[in-house]
Amino acid sequence: MKPTAPLRRTCARTLLAAGLATSLALMAGCAKSEDDSGGDQAATQDKDAGQVVASPSGGSGPTCALDAYGGEKLDLKSATVGFSQSEKEANPFRIAETASLKAEAQKRGVKLLTANAQSQFSKQISDVQDLIAKGADLLVIAPLNSDGWEPVLRTAAAKHIPIVTVDRKINATACKDYVSFIGSDFVEQGKRAADQMIAATGGKGEIAILLGAAGNNVTTERTKGFEDRIAEKAPGLKIVFRQTAEFAREKGQSVTENLIQSKPGIKGVYAENDEMGLGAVNALKGAGKKPGDVKIVTIDGTRNAVQGIVDGWISGVIESNPRFGPLAFQTLDGFTQGRKVAQDIVIQDGSYTGANAKSDLGKAY
Amino acid sequence: MTELSLARGTVDRDRALRLLQDYGVYGGVVVLLLFNFVFTPHFASAENFRTQAVQVAPVLIVALGMALAIGTEGVDLSVGSVMALSTSLLSLYLGYGPWVATLIAVAGGVVSGAASGALVAFVGVQPIVATLSLMVAARGLALVLLPQLKDVHDPGLTALGSGDALGIPYLVLIAAALALLLAFVMRRSTFGRQLLAIGDSRPAARLSGLPVRRVLVVAYVCSGALAAIAGVLATARLTASDPTSLGTLMELSAITAVVVGGTPLGGGRVRVGGTVAGAVLIQLLTTTLIKHDLPPSWTQIAQAVVIVGAVYAARERGRR
Amino acid sequence: MLTVTGLCKTLPGVRALSEVDFTARAGEVHALVGENGAGKSTLIKVLTGVYQPDAGEMTHDGAPVRFATPSQAQQAGISTIYQEVNLVPLMSVARNLFLGREPRGRLGLIDFRRMHREAEETLRGLGIRVDVRRPLRELGVGAQQMIALARAVAVDARVLIMDEPTSSLEPREVRTLFGVIRTLRERGIAVVYVSHRMDELYEICDAVTVLRDGRVVHTGPLAELDRLRLVALMLGREIGEVRREGLTKFTGSRDTTAPPVLVAENLRVRQRLHDVSVSLRPGEVVGLGGLLGSGRSETAKAVAGALPVDGGRIVVAGEPVRGGSTAAAIRAGVSLLPEDRKTEGIVPGLSVRENIALAALPGLSRFGLVDDARVDRIVDTFMKRLRIKAAGPHQKVGELSGGNQQKVLLARWLALHPKVLLLDEPTRGIDVGAKAEVQALVDELADDGLAVLLISSDTEELIEGSDRVVVLKDGAVVRELTGDAVTEEELMRAIAAVPAGGHDD
Repeated sequence: MKPTAPLRRTCARTLLAAGLATSLALMAGCAKSEDDSGGDQAATQDKDAGQVVASPSGGSGPTCALDAYGGEKLDLKSATVGFSQSEKEANPFRIAETASLKAEAQKRGVKLLTANAQSQFSKQISDVQDLIAKGADLLVIAPLNSDGWEPVLRTAAAKHIPIVTVDRKINATACKDYVSFIGSDFVEQGKRAADQMIAATGGKGEIAILLGAAGNNVTTERTKGFEDRIAEKAPGLKIVFRQTAEFAREKGQSVTENLIQSKPGIKGVYAENDEMGLGAVNALKGAGKKPGDVKIVTIDGTRNAVQGIVDGWISGVIESNPRFGPLAFQTLDGFTQGRKVAQDIVIQDGSYTGANAKSDLGKAY
Repeated sequence: MTELSLARGTVDRDRALRLLQDYGVYGGVVVLLLFNFVFTPHFASAENFRTQAVQVAPVLIVALGMALAIGTEGVDLSVGSVMALSTSLLSLYLGYGPWVATLIAVAGGVVSGAASGALVAFVGVQPIVATLSLMVAARGLALVLLPQLKDVHDPGLTALGSGDALGIPYLVLIAAALALLLAFVMRRSTFGRQLLAIGDSRPAARLSGLPVRRVLVVAYVCSGALAAIAGVLATARLTASDPTSLGTLMELSAITAVVVGGTPLGGGRVRVGGTVAGAVLIQLLTTTLIKHDLPPSWTQIAQAVVIVGAVYAARERGRR
Repeated sequence: MLTVTGLCKTLPGVRALSEVDFTARAGEVHALVGENGAGKSTLIKVLTGVYQPDAGEMTHDGAPVRFATPSQAQQAGISTIYQEVNLVPLMSVARNLFLGREPRGRLGLIDFRRMHREAEETLRGLGIRVDVRRPLRELGVGAQQMIALARAVAVDARVLIMDEPTSSLEPREVRTLFGVIRTLRERGIAVVYVSHRMDELYEICDAVTVLRDGRVVHTGPLAELDRLRLVALMLGREIGEVRREGLTKFTGSRDTTAPPVLVAENLRVRQRLHDVSVSLRPGEVVGLGGLLGSGRSETAKAVAGALPVDGGRIVVAGEPVRGGSTAAAIRAGVSLLPEDRKTEGIVPGLSVRENIALAALPGLSRFGLVDDARVDRIVDTFMKRLRIKAAGPHQKVGELSGGNQQKVLLARWLALHPKVLLLDEPTRGIDVGAKAEVQALVDELADDGLAVLLISSDTEELIEGSDRVVVLKDGAVVRELTGDAVTEEELMRAIAAVPAGGHDD
């Protein structure tokens, strides 16, 4: 080893560290981003009352009660609820979901512990175990995966901790391993999107689908519902183009650009989430189209998409409601007081059209 | 007699392979163009070429930087994440105006590239490991700075994304200018020649007193800066900063473009023209499949076939 | 034990072995010596089944054998220990010792307890004390080599071939290694020992076989052969065969009073160089003599900044030069033509033009842009002056012959107008014509006032080309030959001399 080498290396490292630190400080210190016309989202959060159950509680489906599950009555007010979020709160859906649970807990005066698995399943498992260890009496889980929950379920069962899963199901026995699942019916969302598409296009012409990420159940179910309903109700609408845009705006844009060039007569685009739909809007704008030339129907109900309706670019948005807070706490409350609750609670998703978009813009997340 | 003809046979084969490696990519582009002219409706329109050129611009710019890294017998896996970092910074500083924000975004790319370069050149970390760690770090930092998609309303940036000069979109002009600049640097500058020597034979370059470390760092800095520029352009085109999905798998597209363009992974050679053609080839391939509404998995398979073909051609020659 | 007779082997372009007879006897340590290219490694590869002989017989334990693969040779009990230990560094000592033949318990699982016990017994039997559970990489190189030895013995090796086992060992480790070798000898194992270190050979070996140019030039008990004679055999020079004619060629014609342009003092590199000092005057050709591995190339590399030094001082034209930086050395005017032309010298994928201009580029550029006209002029000048035969300046250097590649490298350095030129084996592997041209060029350069340090395994070239010869041995200067003493005989005497006070630890 030459004597100068370690010295120089330390120098390089110090420089590097200093450089990184400086740049970080710069970023944090004097960032000044563009003024966002959207305004503060949290302020308008309250406009929406939360979710409504599509199928009434304790209705047709199988139900679950305290004695069947095992456990004892307790007062929700004095209990601690643990919430395990699956993905980083980086998209509007997750942000609204977490915010809704926090808001409801505050409203009810319940102590809420939260954890975020940052899209790592192993982290989610240990998160839930941590929540249990920290004394959570009840659990709300937004699962990242459907499988692999055995260790957590065993721990929870031993302590008789009721679990409610939201937005995704887990592969286990309801009312034994967990109490209820609260979520949307993605097939139904697809069907309702089809209805909007039929209404917007008049049931005739060629349309395209921007698929979500391949191999995702949301993609397959939203596609199935849409195609089934089109085939059933509007045989005049022909689906001539199905390409994935991976739920991303940029892909939605580039795929749509190709679409409108090779099929200039396209009447409508069904985007399986808002982001791809907004990408499609970008593409249409770039190609010099006017609002309404091509009808766009999307699913999710983010603020940007609903704004798109107001601006005339998007014909309809089917909501996929992320505000699980009220319903989740209502379910847990009823359950711990000994009432029967449904095992599968399908929430009522709203929808936005030209008629209500402007007035309901505040409801969008 | 037989021996003679055999010898000529192998010589012809050699030549054929070399031609395939050097010009195969141009041939591929021509074949795809011809196919589309004949079989794809509405393909031969100015509007379509404009779209294709705009779509390929960011990939092409990233691939140029990648070609430099690969020319040093390295690779830069962090390009996609640097694009994300760049879009985050851009959005964060847009309040100061588009120029300042762009400068800061590119500076972010330079810092990230300097970090990879320092790891490779001074600490002696394998390029694949060094840039992999930057790939994780830059994406993480991008998400910390801007946790979710944010719209960009700045008129300057919007104009950059969708405007044009003399009918040629700004994006395409910038990509072309950068490609020409890089070609000039590789051909005429001391840096370009030293980079090739280092990529071809590191010990010989070191013994010849070349500033090996400096050249390596500069190569990665260029790669980072180019990726950051691509990030700014992609943001301008999308009129939104989306650090979660911008640039994902960009490193693969860029490496593919470089390798298909005939730049050997072993370093010592940087083919700028080939890289441009490689990026165009991949773009045309994807477009063709989309326009004919073939299943998305076909695109991936087709890309894989092209890469295997390119690597095969390179390997055949390397064996001799 | 293992005998070969009439062994012939031709490798592409060279007759590597011809009519070689060699016998390794049980309970004997047999030294195999020779300079570079003498055929040692080819012989070892034939013995271990890596190469197939073209002709010749091989008998093992009295029965004729033929090894098609290295594993066949291993199964027959012939093991090789290379300089670089080829074991698995992350596995424990015991795992390495039993790799591929681990003791199995029920269910076919490894019986670790038994493995550790047996490993400890094996190592203790050889006088090695280490914790067999620790990963191998935590041990020193010497200890690792010992484990490799133990493994060879444990697989019932009957013949053990050791290729320069001590080249990376500390003196203390060498002692232990020799202890183990003696134990093995007592157990009746035939050891073939390849080394260039004269003192080691005389300490541990019983018999010797000297190879030169693929032939056996001597074989017999080592004790009957004195050092000088051994060196003479290796170098292929008869003692007393002094060539006066080439010797006086330069003497007197050089100004021996001029201040030296290069002074290197007390260069130290761990295990490679011990306080080596060399100085060169302008216009002087100084030879570096010594056997392979004596530190010749290391000295040149240390001076050129290509090998980081642990201590010492390099002064060029009165200015001290920072060690460990080729760029600094080049700026000071020191250029090295490396020994390994193919990997350290040429840049094969670049053209003749780019290769020649490579080191001089910064001087041929303005604002970072290369001045192509100037490059063309320089390339043209040197291609003509050195008579480089190429299809043109744009031909790839990798496609040229060895001699022309060497000329391209010389041109690369001369384009820098160096003060000191270090030539490491400048004529190795190039054809006779080019060799003569290069030698003539060196003379010419020296006449122009360049200071040249010449390293050559070709004794004749070294003696005739040099004004002075500094003789190295085991990384230290043992003698400097000047004036009338610059003869092959003196060179051999210097190499063979027994060091005063025994082995320096």
